[in-house]
Amino acid sequence: MPFLVVDSISKIYRPDGPASAVAVLRDVTVCIEEGEFVAVMGPSGSGKTTLLSVMGAMNRPTHGRLTVDGIEVYRLSDERLADFRREYVGFVFQQHHLLPFLTALENVSLPLAVERIGASEARARAKEALRRVQLDDKADRLPDQLSGGEQGRVAIARALVNNPPLLLADEPTGNLDSATGAEVMKLFAELNAQRQSIVMVTHNPENAVSANRIIRLRDGRIE
Amino acid sequence: MRLSQIATGNLRRRKGRAAFLMLGFTMGIGTVVALYTLSTAIKEEIGHQLDQFGANIVIVPRANTLALNYGGISVPGVSFDVGQLKAADVERIKSIPYKNRLSVVAPKLIGVTSVEGRECLLVGVRFPEELSMKKWWNLVGRRPTGIDEVILGYEIASQLGVIDLQGPTMPAMGDDHRAHAATAVSKPGLLRSEIVIAGRKFGIAGILNETGGREDQMIFADLERVQEVMDKPDELSLVEVSALCKDCPIDDIVAQIQEQLPTAKVAALQQAVRARTQTVDRLNRFSVAIAVIVLVIGGLLIMSTLMASVIERTREIGVLRAVGFRKRHIVELLLIEVGLLSVVGGLLGWLAGTGASAIAVRHFTNSVTTVRPSLLLAGGCVAMALLLGMVACIFPARRAAALDPLEALRHI
Ligand SMILES: Nc1ncnc2c1ncn2[C@@H]1O[C@H](COP(=O)(O)OP(=O)(O)OP(=O)(O)O)[C@@H](O)[C@H]1O
Ligand SMILES: [Mg+2]
Repeated sequence: MPFLVVDSISKIYRPDGPASAVAVLRDVTVCIEEGEFVAVMGPSGSGKTTLLSVMGAMNRPTHGRLTVDGIEVYRLSDERLADFRREYVGFVFQQHHLLPFLTALENVSLPLAVERIGASEARARAKEALRRVQLDDKADRLPDQLSGGEQGRVAIARALVNNPPLLLADEPTGNLDSATGAEVMKLFAELNAQRQSIVMVTHNPENAVSANRIIRLRDGRIE
Repeated sequence: MRLSQIATGNLRRRKGRAAFLMLGFTMGIGTVVALYTLSTAIKEEIGHQLDQFGANIVIVPRANTLALNYGGISVPGVSFDVGQLKAADVERIKSIPYKNRLSVVAPKLIGVTSVEGRECLLVGVRFPEELSMKKWWNLVGRRPTGIDEVILGYEIASQLGVIDLQGPTMPAMGDDHRAHAATAVSKPGLLRSEIVIAGRKFGIAGILNETGGREDQMIFADLERVQEVMDKPDELSLVEVSALCKDCPIDDIVAQIQEQLPTAKVAALQQAVRARTQTVDRLNRFSVAIAVIVLVIGGLLIMSTLMASVIERTREIGVLRAVGFRKRHIVELLLIEVGLLSVVGGLLGWLAGTGASAIAVRHFTNSVTTVRPSLLLAGGCVAMALLLGMVACIFPARRAAALDPLEALRHI
């Protein structure tokens, strides 16, 4: 069985009652093997972010099943879903979403704040994650003392700090110029070379070249 | 990285909002502290003032048949005493555990005796005690100095021809007699300076202006001298006690005196006690009502600020949920923040309230009441602020916990 299975998933939003129903994902089925690097592409509004959030245990689908590592994810309660995210998923947001009042190291440590581990171990793990993104020398900087690319790398380090089997990224280079974007993509390629499974949404075909496979979405369906 | 670090980091980042929240706690708790401290001081003051209205406990011998009436109190007749009160009993009263609450203990011996051919009510008292207890007495003349001086009630003085109620009596005051007639006597108006009681001469130190009570018909003399005159050495008819009872353990005081004097009848003058308790109760209710209003307003203020803060941090909370924080962790984070603010705000409120009331107490009371900082009250403030914060947190915390991790993914 593949590591991650999206099994005929539909997501229907009903912002103002049943009459306004919008089907954002329609019967989507995707399998992802361990160590794969998959790029998700498609026009704006096609459901890329929605698919990623369903894979990331953040968005209960209307129909269908998500299975990760043999776990049927959406059978879990809300609190257990949070635990699942912490254990299995690292998420990189387009705007990075670093907490501005915490240093790079503290931002990276965020997922560990609710783990039962000692302060020194948490620090060591956050340091190690920062080292993986080559930012260990800037651990004590606040986000606004870092460049856009460095902020992106801190966000990736935060996603990696729990060593999650699955790394999800929603347009991680969307906010960056092409040079720093390339820097971040190089990091993804390196991580994938270390057998990290990655699913990345991108608009940029150049970014997709490092991926093993491209999934194209249109109107909530796989093309 | 701990939740508390995230909380303090956030408070440092949003200093304005944190300061505003803390101000909410400080003002709420400060007002309550000031109200409490001031009303305690005023209660003490009222207590002192009410205590000046005289005795609130009266002790008489038990088991008597013939009773005299003394200022509305039944006093056993002289001749049928069974369990008598003795001079030594005064010291026993003063030895009760609550002795610090006893402001005046005034023993008396009352008897009927003949004064210049009339039957008069003679009351033996200890003048210093008596005069400090009967603050309302309007004494014309001076306090008796020796044991051979007396104070006369208004009516008896006139009957004995010491003052003249009918006509102008103030030769020394001179000219306008009518202006000074009758109701106000003054020392120079005394027609005589001595009377004879049971064959002994006594100097007249002063006259009591009309009280409208039984005092008007009494002659007050030194206790020991009266005991001697009436041949009842050591004996007492009653003891009046004025107890300071801020929080009014009057029943306890009565019980303790009763224990000391098992054969006596010890009674609290319920009316005086009730009047005082009522006044203090009303004051209490008033300040509690204001305190509750202030706390409710403060709580609402804190709640709306927290709510705004949660909404402002929607994205941030979404990120925390996305990286694996449980709802419970989000609530904990909020509680830690509010807890920190409420502890500091509560302490500041205690300081502010104590300081404000220390200044204000001078305007509200005229005695030398002072406000002393109380550590117990400080603890209470912290507890109250915590409670206030936790209650104000309920809705914002629910709102925060309900936020979706998807908030982190929304663009804009
Ligand atoms: N909570 C929601 N309620 C209603 N409609 C929603 C909600 N979230 C997303 N949508 C709609 O679902 C559709 C797909 O959204 P999604 O964010 O997945 O698109 P996307 O492919 O990521 O687009 P983009 O490239 O612009 O990021 C959009 O039309 C969006 O308006
Ligand atoms: Mg998107």
